[in-house]
Amino acid sequence: MRQGAKYGALGGAVVVIAAGVVLTVMMRSQPADEHPDAYAVDAGISGCGTGWVHPTAGVQIFDVRNTSIAGMEVYLQSATAKDVYLDLESLGAGSTTRGQATLGAGRYQFVCLPADADPIAGPVVTVSGAKHVANATAGIPPVTQNDLIPASKQYGAWIESRLPVLQGETDALAGDVTSGDLGKAKADWLTAHLEYETLGAAYGAFGDADTAINGMPAPGRNALDDPDPTGFHKIEALLFSGAPASAIAPYTSRLTNDVAALRADFPNTRIDPLDIGLRAHEILENALQFELTGETDAGSHTNLATLDANLTGTTHALEPLRGILKTRYPDLTKTDAAIAATQRLVESFRGADGSWQALANLTTAQREQLDAHVDETLELLAPIAAICDVRRPAT
Amino acid sequence: MTAELARRGFLHGLVGAGIAAPIAAVGAHAAAATSVRAGAPTPASDAATTETAAAGPAASYPFHGTHQAGILTPAQRNATFAAFDLTASGRVELADLMKAITDRARFLTAGGAPQTVGITAPPADSGVLGPQVPADGLAVTVSFGASVFDDRFGLTDLKPHRLRTMEDFPNDDLDRATCDGDVLLQLCAHNPDTVTHALRDIARATRGAMQLRWRKDGFVSPPRPSGTPRNLMGFKDGTSAPALAAASAPDELVWTHAGGIEPSWVEGGSYHVVRIIRMLVEFWDRVSLHEQENMIGRRRDSGAPLTGTHEHDDPRYETDPTGDVIQLDAHIRLANNRSPEQAKQQMLRRGYNYDSGIDVNGNLDTGLIFACFNQDLERQFVTVQKRLIDEPLADYISPTGGGYFFALPGVRHRADWYASGLLA
Repeated sequence: MRQGAKYGALGGAVVVIAAGVVLTVMMRSQPADEHPDAYAVDAGISGCGTGWVHPTAGVQIFDVRNTSIAGMEVYLQSATAKDVYLDLESLGAGSTTRGQATLGAGRYQFVCLPADADPIAGPVVTVSGAKHVANATAGIPPVTQNDLIPASKQYGAWIESRLPVLQGETDALAGDVTSGDLGKAKADWLTAHLEYETLGAAYGAFGDADTAINGMPAPGRNALDDPDPTGFHKIEALLFSGAPASAIAPYTSRLTNDVAALRADFPNTRIDPLDIGLRAHEILENALQFELTGETDAGSHTNLATLDANLTGTTHALEPLRGILKTRYPDLTKTDAAIAATQRLVESFRGADGSWQALANLTTAQREQLDAHVDETLELLAPIAAICDVRRPAT
Repeated sequence: MTAELARRGFLHGLVGAGIAAPIAAVGAHAAAATSVRAGAPTPASDAATTETAAAGPAASYPFHGTHQAGILTPAQRNATFAAFDLTASGRVELADLMKAITDRARFLTAGGAPQTVGITAPPADSGVLGPQVPADGLAVTVSFGASVFDDRFGLTDLKPHRLRTMEDFPNDDLDRATCDGDVLLQLCAHNPDTVTHALRDIARATRGAMQLRWRKDGFVSPPRPSGTPRNLMGFKDGTSAPALAAASAPDELVWTHAGGIEPSWVEGGSYHVVRIIRMLVEFWDRVSLHEQENMIGRRRDSGAPLTGTHEHDDPRYETDPTGDVIQLDAHIRLANNRSPEQAKQQMLRRGYNYDSGIDVNGNLDTGLIFACFNQDLERQFVTVQKRLIDEPLADYISPTGGGYFFALPGVRHRADWYASGLLA
């Protein structure tokens, strides 16, 4: 949903309208050793990639026209490997769109991928000149549905293995409340909530189950006065505002039922292969937006604990993608290091007795360190979603 | 008369050099930068002035040079002042950060095609300025606050001698959350989208190493109807800088020199003062014109000193020794009484209006981002500011933020980077 909306906004007429202006600007600003002109390239059933002739190494600009009568995707790829340098998606029949890549000398070809037909490989084109050029576009083999299915199965299996643990923890919470031990309930609430927060429920991944288990109050309301939330944050609001056990019990009981429902239902749901790459960065995006702003705090002041759990969740979402990323993402090691450093910093805000500092109690310098760590980690995670976008195989 | 001609010549010389720069830039960035620095009222710069009037402001300003752009550069219409705190640890990470800012600034101020990433990452550029990034007169000016020279980076002994945390002056109402900071980016361009694009680009490239502490966006009004642009009190602001007319002025008033009590790396930098001065405009608008003009010492409509007829007329305080016409505590008289002693206290002002929102009373949060460059913070800005303490105008303004910074020497060539003289 989110991905579709993002790409949808990029489509449309803007590029075409701007093309004339862009070209004029470029003629003046491009260094003389680069092609100032765009190649007019056809992408069709009877001819793919025609129009790219006698290129020399450097910036290549293409105006690619879909000459077929249906939607098309176009790759510019290595002729000798499966590395793709440019992917023009959702090219409507008859439309022209601009693409750009910076290439070193070598052999390349366009591949046209009609929506419901086999790929058509264009002629091999030799780019002459320097083997290595400045700011070259990196080429990688596209990640396919087949690559991602095992990863999403592995991730799903991990989540499934955690659900009984979550069940046990929410049962314990309900038991505390029933027996009237609200001190223990607070501790067990945190344990259960953090368990749930490792599961990567960012951006509605569990749908209605997430709303039931971890729903937030409506804008302008809080978890106490809004009747809609019933899960962790409602219980948090009651527990940490001194409500009596009798007022909390219906919600803890309901939570155990909602977790049981998720547990029963989850094996029947399939994690969309597209989601696994997105999850790897969205869990932490979600934490930045809702935890580091304190927005989800309903009285326990445990946003930092949640962030810690979300970092653990990010690591688990990343785990099944390692094989895919190892050859495609040179900053994977740096990403692991950034997650680990962020987690060390977050856990430094936890006292010896296990209690977490409230977000609001951090000094400006501490807050800036935290934001810097999270922000840098997010920048490193962002390419993973782009790389793991589901694509058709290269030729 | 001579002073006015010379002053105009100086300013136009700057503009002329700016517009000439992109032409010279093909092979000689350094030469273009030097011509900005010389900026003398010569027949050649007069010729450039004529061109400038027809052609408008320069499309781009040279990035490489002895000094940074954004100081002598004629004020672009839009700016942001963004103060960051360093989260980098150690000198190596600080140097890496400065190299990263250098790379981005070098690209953004020249413009061009952003890096293409194929299917390996989200787009490298936000696209806010279209597929080809135009330079649009962007200048990136990087300054360090005194806190860079605390014990974090082992740079204590290399602090520019006069750099310190901005003090609370008696009429100030400073909120320290919108004051100070380790690194100030002053980003100026002809259009606001270019300014915000540059801030977003640099912040993205430097996320782990520095974090935004405060920012303020500003604009320069067009001449209304002519002459120096007006501030939001309705007065022409920045008219007077007679001592800056001389060709030698930048070297005597703007650029800090190495030697003596200053460390060697500061050569060609400048003390950069930013003060966010809220104007209590609702109150101001309820004050009679006569009282307003007495507080300032100038006519609101023409900008002329009350003793003169035209904006650039000399106030001739010698003919008004007891303040019958321009009160002794009028803003312009306190700021500069035109004595030889005060000539060396003048600073290069480069202010922007701001218009930000509302306060709890529903009054406008609007005012001036006072920015100036000084060879010597103490001799210039601080001395003048102390003279302004309790001036009548103080009741209508409220300084809320800003700080003291040191604008780094310029990035001299393609292999150079910001603060290399300090950190290499």
